[in-house]
Amino acid sequence: MIRAGVKRGTAELAVLSILEDGPLHGYEMARRIEEQTKGALRFTLAALYPMLYCMEQRGWIRGAWETSSSSGRRRRCYRLTPAGKKKLSPLRREWAELFGALQRLTKVSHA
Amino acid sequence: MHDWRELVQSKLAELPVSPGTKTDVVDELAGHLEEVYEELRRQGMTEELAAQRAMRQVTDWNALQRHIRKAKEREELMHNRVRQLWFPGLLTLILSTGLLPMLLKLGLEPRIVSWSGPETILFYVPWLMTLPLFGALGAYVSLRAGGPARAILLSGVFPVLSLAACFFVILPLSIVLDRSIAFHLTLAGFLGLLLSWIAVPGAALLIGALPIQILHAREANSQRMPGA
Repeated sequence: MIRAGVKRGTAELAVLSILEDGPLHGYEMARRIEEQTKGALRFTLAALYPMLYCMEQRGWIRGAWETSSSSGRRRRCYRLTPAGKKKLSPLRREWAELFGALQRLTKVSHA
Repeated sequence: MHDWRELVQSKLAELPVSPGTKTDVVDELAGHLEEVYEELRRQGMTEELAAQRAMRQVTDWNALQRHIRKAKEREELMHNRVRQLWFPGLLTLILSTGLLPMLLKLGLEPRIVSWSGPETILFYVPWLMTLPLFGALGAYVSLRAGGPARAILLSGVFPVLSLAACFFVILPLSIVLDRSIAFHLTLAGFLGLLLSWIAVPGAALLIGALPIQILHAREANSQRMPGA
């Protein structure tokens, strides 16, 4: 079983990485993460928003209401803050190290 | 057509955050559910099935409410502190301390009271007479922002708290840095400064802030005992 801390860490990395390409609202964020990870990472509303609010609290992302020009729908779009950008590279490095270590340990490798 | 907003609002009815924050959260979550539902409808699901599947996004609304409250708690606390204490306090400080140099420019003469031997205290009486007004203003702004009793009082007497902080931080520092200050400063002189710049202005500000705080306490009591 994956511990909550590990799960949260991957989820935060996923959100920060997806926002690096530009601002997104919650639904679109969840959809793109699912699409880009081929369904390996899925965010339900219940998992996504408390995490987004926490990340906003820490100053890594900033949300603002925007109205879509095409649908006229009002959505809260999140963008990466300078603090979030700064957080992303060490987080990536930590996860790369962790996965590298796990790979060496379990001898799982790409064929 | 499903009213997702109404649904989310009823599920998060007990979310203990400010009305503005709650509206934002409800709008955002309802928008998300609506998009999930619409996407499922586009994929050919029936209205009923799509609504059921969209609802699976949240299995435990109470847990979601708890997690959102936890995430928003700090933000709310900071936001309230700014609105209920820092803003009214700084407003009182700027207005009350800004008035003194203006009055001096207009030719205000201080009343000089002999204290102990050569020591004297300066009282800027017209300025002191305006302080209850500023104390009341600070307390009122805090009250309007929904401040608790302590924030209302602190906002009213904020200028003297800042002055007291200066006295008890800057003065000892100055004494450490420049020994001649310690040599020239007598206990009587120090007490005189405390009296003229902290105790008396503090009392004047309190005269203004206290009625507002009492008003707040009465209102709170009447809300607690609606039958009384």
